[in-house]
Amino acid sequence: MSEAPPSMAANPAGRSAPAPRRTSRPSSLWAFRGALSRRMQAAVGVGTSLLLLLAWEAAARAGLVNSTFLPSPVAVLNAMLLMVQKQNLLWHAGVSTLRVWTAFALAAAMAVPVGILMSSYRVVGAALEPIIDFIRYLPVPALVPLSIIWFGVGESTKLYLLWLGTFFQLVLLVADDMRRVPQEYVEIAYTLGARTPQVLRDVAFRAMLPGLVDNLRITLGWCWTYLIIAEIVAADSGIGFVIWTARRYMKTPEVMAGVVVIGIIGLVTDQLLRAAHRRAFRYL
Amino acid sequence: MTEPYLAFDGVTKRFGALDVVGQPFDLTVARNEFIVFLGPSGCGKTTLMRMVGGLDTPTGGDIRLEGVPVGGPDHRRGMVFQSYSSFPWLTVAENVLFGMRYRTDLTEQQKRARRDHYLDLVGLYEFSDAYPNKVSGGMRQRVAIARTLAAGSEVLLMDEPFGALDAQRREKLQVELRGIQRRDTKTVVFVTHDVEEAVFLADRVIVFSKRPARLVADIDVTAQLGAERPLELRDSPEFFRLRNAVLKLLREAAGDDE
Ligand SMILES: Nc1ncnc2c1ncn2[C@@H]1O[C@H](COP(=O)(O)OP(=O)(O)OP(=O)(O)O)[C@@H](O)[C@H]1O
Ligand SMILES: [Mg+2]
Repeated sequence: MSEAPPSMAANPAGRSAPAPRRTSRPSSLWAFRGALSRRMQAAVGVGTSLLLLLAWEAAARAGLVNSTFLPSPVAVLNAMLLMVQKQNLLWHAGVSTLRVWTAFALAAAMAVPVGILMSSYRVVGAALEPIIDFIRYLPVPALVPLSIIWFGVGESTKLYLLWLGTFFQLVLLVADDMRRVPQEYVEIAYTLGARTPQVLRDVAFRAMLPGLVDNLRITLGWCWTYLIIAEIVAADSGIGFVIWTARRYMKTPEVMAGVVVIGIIGLVTDQLLRAAHRRAFRYL
Repeated sequence: MTEPYLAFDGVTKRFGALDVVGQPFDLTVARNEFIVFLGPSGCGKTTLMRMVGGLDTPTGGDIRLEGVPVGGPDHRRGMVFQSYSSFPWLTVAENVLFGMRYRTDLTEQQKRARRDHYLDLVGLYEFSDAYPNKVSGGMRQRVAIARTLAAGSEVLLMDEPFGALDAQRREKLQVELRGIQRRDTKTVVFVTHDVEEAVFLADRVIVFSKRPARLVADIDVTAQLGAERPLELRDSPEFFRLRNAVLKLLREAAGDDE
């Protein structure tokens, strides 16, 4: 976009009397639903987190809390470094990440077409919706015994549990994204001579894409929740396994280090996907 | 007897129990005529227009284009909607090019040439690379018009395309649209609520009753005001008189409860 479009919406009378510049007042941070620059947002986010860490560290040092229950951030960090050296923490993190992504990719590859079909053809939606809604409300942990009976305690059980936790949620989200595509877009394409597969591919799918990517990002996060359950139940590797083992010996710093690693992976992935979203959908 | 260009022949339409077009509706439209549908809200104007586009099918009777009953939608009859009229993920130029995406009879080079021609015609050439959300509402409607023209539509079906625009931009686009229609010799079916817009644009204004829609009046505007429609026409006493007459008809058509 080289040319700047004219500011047609600008009020013609506004030139002589500039609008009050709210942003320059210090109180504008607290303007109801006011704007906040990207830089400021990052600063506030990092600042708050640091503040919390400091308070936590101070509380631990002052002996306000029993260190078996709440070890200080420094202790957690030390434990983490030690675990990286002695317990292959990074490898475990890699194993968990791989499991999440494999199961997630499987779930997405199936949920996207099914969800699209459900909204494109009412009959598919009518047929599948009750079943999906039923399974969606089953808590994944309740299905652990059944999946162990079916798949044993190997890798497939974990993948199955993760898939179970994401597929059914994702299907309905995808179906919703598709339903929300304005009918006008579809009809424009038809009046330009498109056939149904072309309308689906060139217009409907393209129109739902930003919402779809957003929903994929959100469900990926849920996948991590189920991962820990799967790894606690039946695993000899992965972060969940590490956390559960440390718990057995009451090594609270190690338990927390494991939790923090998951948090960091989640944070980084989410930020990367958000950035990719912004880049891919600049037109929004 | 020659076949009329576009013909509504005994068309009726009901949605379930709802009679939208009750009495069989007959109308013939000549090639290159600018027809405006005017009527109370909910009377069935959009429905009638969508049937011309092949997006709805009549319950009874049929609609024929050059003697051939209209089936499903195709590129000869193009739609311009009031909202969501262009694709937000494509630039202005890409939107216009999209109009020819499914035309296999044109080479890529021809498509690009047509794209540029119609971008120029609607005055959007310099905004080629802008995304729709970065241009004004009026420009977005012009994108849709250019896309429809580039697609090769002979009949333009426009459902309150300027409904969301402010008065000034509306007037400007009306003058432009009328010019394009005359230069490019298109047949237009245009739906609006706005009497002034109807009289300014139309060769013929068709006034409908409230639902179930019935033809109340068929006013030959060109016979009274001529085919040229400069902006100044709006200030002339003839325009005013006609506008008031149509307004009166519309009031009667809408009934007392409106
Ligand atoms: N697909 C549909 N199913 C059921 N009823 C419909 C459908 N489409 C339109 N209707 C009904 O048909 C009637 C006529 O609708 P239509 O949109 O044609 O009116 P209109 O004259 O264009 O109104 P407006 O001026 O408000 O746009 C309305 O009562 C509307 O609710
Ligand atoms: Mg309408």
